[in-house]
Formats: sequence, structure tokens, C-alpha cells
Amino acid sequence: MKELNIEIVTPAKVAFSGKAKSITIPGTKGSFQVLFNHAPIISLFEVGFIKIEDLFGIKTNYATSGGTVEVLNNKVIVLAESFESKEQIDVRRAQEARDRAQKRIKKQSNENEIDLTRAEYALKRAINRLKLAK
Amino acid sequence: MATLRDIKRSISGVKSTQKITKAMKMVSAARLNKAQENIINSRPYYRKISEVLMQLLAVEKNYEHPLLSESGEEKIAIIAISSDRGLCGAFNNNIISEVEKMINVNYSEQNKNQNLALFCVGKKVNDYFTRHGYKVEKGFNGIFSDLKFDFVAQLNKQLANRFVSSDFDKIIVVYNKFQSVAQQKVTALQLYPIKPENSEDKVQLVNLDYIFEPDKKTIIDNLLPQYLNAQLWAILLDSYAGELGARMTAMDMATENASEMISSLQLNYNKRRQAAITNEILEIVSGANALKGN
Repeated sequence: MKELNIEIVTPAKVAFSGKAKSITIPGTKGSFQVLFNHAPIISLFEVGFIKIEDLFGIKTNYATSGGTVEVLNNKVIVLAESFESKEQIDVRRAQEARDRAQKRIKKQSNENEIDLTRAEYALKRAINRLKLAK
Repeated sequence: MATLRDIKRSISGVKSTQKITKAMKMVSAARLNKAQENIINSRPYYRKISEVLMQLLAVEKNYEHPLLSESGEEKIAIIAISSDRGLCGAFNNNIISEVEKMINVNYSEQNKNQNLALFCVGKKVNDYFTRHGYKVEKGFNGIFSDLKFDFVAQLNKQLANRFVSSDFDKIIVVYNKFQSVAQQKVTALQLYPIKPENSEDKVQLVNLDYIFEPDKKTIIDNLLPQYLNAQLWAILLDSYAGELGARMTAMDMATENASEMISSLQLNYNKRRQAAITNEILEIVSGANALKGN
């Protein structure tokens, strides 16, 4: 059986552990798909969706806020800052986060660059979550 | 001289205290279960991230990152982690005495020159060090009741900024490491600069031809803060579980002591009662005898 062993861990817990046909990762240099016998790779990935295709070919999207992935001998280990299925997303919290971030970006356009990038990053995460939850 | 009623009152007092300590023990035990679960859940992430990072660092030995560079010991920051609440035995005192020892023995010079800053996590250390005239840079109270990863990320961001801008040359954390329910070990650990572990046996993995996206250095840059967060997170979880364990043990002992006290009080009470009865009988008998004699 050509299958991948996938383990997705976040700081809080092991969020996903199981076998799958393929996994698609939102890599920093563009999204890439890992299939059986993928070359060993360590890659960073960004805010976006992780798509897992299970052994029956059913594809599921999960929202992530970035992290690192390691592929070796058909074992995929994803170190994600967050990993949520559509059902797990707290829509209200994401909306609040989005509004907060937008407000912050408007208020201090050029004053503080670090805060601005942080707010933009928060906005990106919130929008990503909402996109999946829709 | 305690009367019978006094003894009875103190028995009921001890009994109600015992009820409280018993309840506290149960609450701690329940929370401890959850805390231990959290520790176990957080481990895979920390282990994996340090594995990947240490391997990369072993390969890129000459990589100079501000978070990795040693810059002496002129300015020190110590993060002391205790609990917010008491009734947990020597848990907090151990931290306090360790930190004080550290300041007086290793860093007395820095302390004299005002180059020693304290970060206090937990009300107990915060109160103590503020009261005793130490320079408490920042105190955090009440974070353990609702422990959030965000807190760790925020704190680390501050620490990293100040470390990189040379406000501190070294940042050390002192905390209670959770060993078992009944045992915590006071541990001091250097957080900044990051010390790469030089274990050769782990390096072999990197010799496999990995593809690095985008490249090794960028990956290291990204992993360093995540590693620090995972590390501090693990430390806080450990300390919290340790606190609950310590409280559980302390309350268990208190409950036991209360039982002992109750039984000795009860014995005393029974003796007194018996003595009083004997006395009364004696009086009656001697009274009767006196009447008979007439």
C-alpha cells in the first residue's frame, strides 16, 4: 500500500496522526504536494490550508498558521503553530481578531513597523480561518 | 485548664479544617491529572522541534545568529517561576532561596551594579522580591489559572528583543521541574543565548540528502523563536503540574496531621469525661455512705 504516515503536532497536542495518500502543504515558495516516495525535505510553510487526502481519496482542508514540515521515508511530521478543521474554528473569535487587526493597521500606518507586521500577520491568520469556516 | 466543652470545640474545629484540606487535595488531584496530560501532549512538539533545530545547528556550526551568540555575563536577567497561591509546602520557598542564592553567590557583582533584572512569574515570587527590595523588572500574576500559549509567545518576544539589543547578556530561568506527584526539582536553565546541544549521535539524520526549503539558515531563523516558545511553554506546564503535585502532597499531609490531632484530642476528651463521671460517682457514693453512717 502506497501510504504516508502523517503526524501533525502543535504546541498543545498531537493534532492529527494517521495514514493518508497525500498531503498538500502551503510552503514558503508555493504550495507543494507530498506523495508516496517523496524526497526527504525540511520546509517552512506559511499561513494557509493543509490538505490531506485520506486512503479513500477524500480530501479535507485544515487551517494552519505556519510552521515546519519534515518528510522522510514516507513519514510526514508537521510542526504547526495551529491546526484546525472547519468544525474546530471559532468563527466569532476569528472575526474579532480580524476586526482588531484591521483597526490596528488603520490606526498606526507608519508609526511602528514591528506592530504593523504583527497586525498584518494576525489579520492573515484570521482571514485564513474565516475562509475555511465559510 | 481546658474544659470538656473546650476540647469538644477544638475537635470540631480540627474536623472542619480537615474537611477543607481534604477537599483541596481532591481539587489539586483532579487538576493535576489535566496538567500532566498537558505535559504529555506538549512533549512531541518540543522534542521534534529541538531535534530538527539541533541537527541544523550541528551542520551549520559557524552560523551566527544573535540569539546564539555568547556575550559575557555583565547583565543578567533571571526569570523566577512560582505559583500564585500558597498552601503547597516548600514549593515557592525553594524557588526563592535558589534565586537568592544565585544572586548572592554567582551574580552579586551584577546585583550591586544594578545589572540584574528579575522577571517574576507567579504572585508568590513577585510579592517576595518586590518586598525585599530587588529590582523586579516585570511581574506576572494569575497566569496559571488560564495558561495560554500566547503568554509565552509575548514574554519571549520581549525577552528576545531585549537580549538582541544587549539589555541582557544572559537570561536564566529558575523553576520547579515536575518529577513525580510527590517530587519537584528546582532547576536553573539558561534560555538565552541558546546553547546548542553537541550530541554527535543525533547528527546522522542530516547526512541524508534533505531538500531545504527555502534554505537552512532561514529555517534556523524561523525555528529559533518557536523552539524558545516551546521550551518556555514546557517549563510553565512543568511548574504548574509541580505546584499541583506539591499542594496535593501538602494537603494530604495536613489531612493526616488533622486525623492524628483529632484522635489525640478525642482520647483526651474521653479521659476527662471518664474522670468527671468517676468523680461524680465518688461524690454520690460518699454522700450515701455519710447518710448511712447517721
